[in-house]
Amino acid sequence: MKKKIFPKVIRIILLSMFFVFAIFPLYWIVITSLKPTQEIYSFPVRYWTNNPTFFGYKRLFEFVNFKRYFVNSIFVSIGASFVSTIFAMLSGYILSRKEFKWKYPIILFLFFSQMIPTYLIMVPQYTMFSKLNLINKLTSLIIIYSGFGAAFSTIMAKGFFDRIPKSIEEAALIDGCNEIQSLFKITIPLMLPGLSAILSFSFVNNWNELFTAVMFLNTSDKYTVPVGLYSIVSKAGVQWNVLAAGIVIALLPTIIVFAISQKYIIAGLTQGSLKD
Amino acid sequence: MRRKKFIFFLLLPTLLLISFIILYPTISGVMLSFKNYSLYNFQNIEWIGFENFKTIFSDPFYIDTIWNTLKWVIFSVFFQLILGFILALLMKEPFKGRGVYAGLVFYPWAISGFAIGLIWSWLLNGQFGVINDILIKIGIIEEGISFLSDPSLAMFSVILVNVWYGIPFFAIMILAALQSVPDSLYDAAEIDGAGYFTKLFNITIPYIKPTLINTILLRTIWVMNFPDIIYGMTRGGPAGSTEILAVKMINTVFYESDYSKAAAHGVVIILIFFIYTMMYLKLTSKGEFSL
Repeated sequence: MKKKIFPKVIRIILLSMFFVFAIFPLYWIVITSLKPTQEIYSFPVRYWTNNPTFFGYKRLFEFVNFKRYFVNSIFVSIGASFVSTIFAMLSGYILSRKEFKWKYPIILFLFFSQMIPTYLIMVPQYTMFSKLNLINKLTSLIIIYSGFGAAFSTIMAKGFFDRIPKSIEEAALIDGCNEIQSLFKITIPLMLPGLSAILSFSFVNNWNELFTAVMFLNTSDKYTVPVGLYSIVSKAGVQWNVLAAGIVIALLPTIIVFAISQKYIIAGLTQGSLKD
Repeated sequence: MRRKKFIFFLLLPTLLLISFIILYPTISGVMLSFKNYSLYNFQNIEWIGFENFKTIFSDPFYIDTIWNTLKWVIFSVFFQLILGFILALLMKEPFKGRGVYAGLVFYPWAISGFAIGLIWSWLLNGQFGVINDILIKIGIIEEGISFLSDPSLAMFSVILVNVWYGIPFFAIMILAALQSVPDSLYDAAEIDGAGYFTKLFNITIPYIKPTLINTILLRTIWVMNFPDIIYGMTRGGPAGSTEILAVKMINTVFYESDYSKAAAHGVVIILIFFIYTMMYLKLTSKGEFSL
């Protein structure tokens, strides 16, 4: 019999503590979003509500136009994650399979591009995009997020490609496929779990991005969800059940994506061992 | 040659995009730090040498910002690492529902930092906050603590939240590394009568050292570059007590609209990263850092 690292009882207690610590804030924000206004500011605090109401959500969609922000965010996040994943798929394949002179400088370049604070390059990006007449357009966010995403996605993609045996492609080449055919017909289908991990990982990052979006978007019909939350907070006298409802709505897509692809994301992170 | 063309065409889109979105703006950001571009001067932008750097270094509160940044990075990464490690050890042995458990304890990592800041600023609220209520009920305190409006507690509070957010990442990375430690090493040690701390320090930690080194390096850089949580909680206040370099830079852009001065802050951050990365890789021996 192998000895356990932790005795069973201690293990269960510790695992439960981690669980409560992780999950409690989520519970709290959901319950807050359902409380009527007078219960929000009562002290001692109420841990449960007997009069759940959708008042917070109603206000959010009637007065703050959260639906618009949500649609904008979906558009930007999905657009940018697809673009960066496709780019990363192609370059990750090359970096995994080919040997050439500039390979390691390129990998290093990708790594160092992760270190640049986004807010250092926000202003130059803004100047660039205003010359191209792309300010206050969601397209510009798609382009920028794709660029940020392409670097780490390439490294993640390289990690996934490294796990697919080369011999499978070699067999296809012998059977008369050319390199591009073997990439699209053989390797990429095998990469689908990896690609979905990269895609969801980018989606989560794009969905959550705040500062570039605040800088680039200046009319509320263009706001993304984080910018919407930011603007709600900036307004004086915001009610906490409304804000909590906004946070719950903001969390939903990432939690769904994370739940579906968690297994693959974790594999991808530990393969590429890089995150922005 | 066909092979070269193939390599070239598949790499080109990514490299062009990153050059356009990151490399070029970085270079012009560094150049911007030597100019005088602000909301009040966007017509005659000219080189002013090290003026911006002189301005930021002569700010008497700058040293506080550096200290805040160090506290924020060191304490956040330290506790994320320790608690993430413990969680990974706990989760290493299979148990019923481990997959679901992992999904739930790892979820904080998928939430936006800004939203996390907002959630926790409500939990830690001095008047209506649930944390105060719990502490009072347990009997630890008698009346509510103003976690975020008391300058001596604000930094502690934002670090606590950052630890909450960062535990999953360390746990994920370490858990994956733990799975790769061969059981035979433990079996052999057990025959020699090793206890679990001996095994932990003589087998587990040395074996997963490369993962620990890479993860700490990346997280340090990331935590230092991560103003979102602080922005959701305090925006650097009260009285600058949670202002780290990254927050200072954003405040310089959004409130002072002095873009060149903000860029100078950014250059300082990059320099710190550069020195840190070099020293770190040297200390932890270069050979172990693999991409």
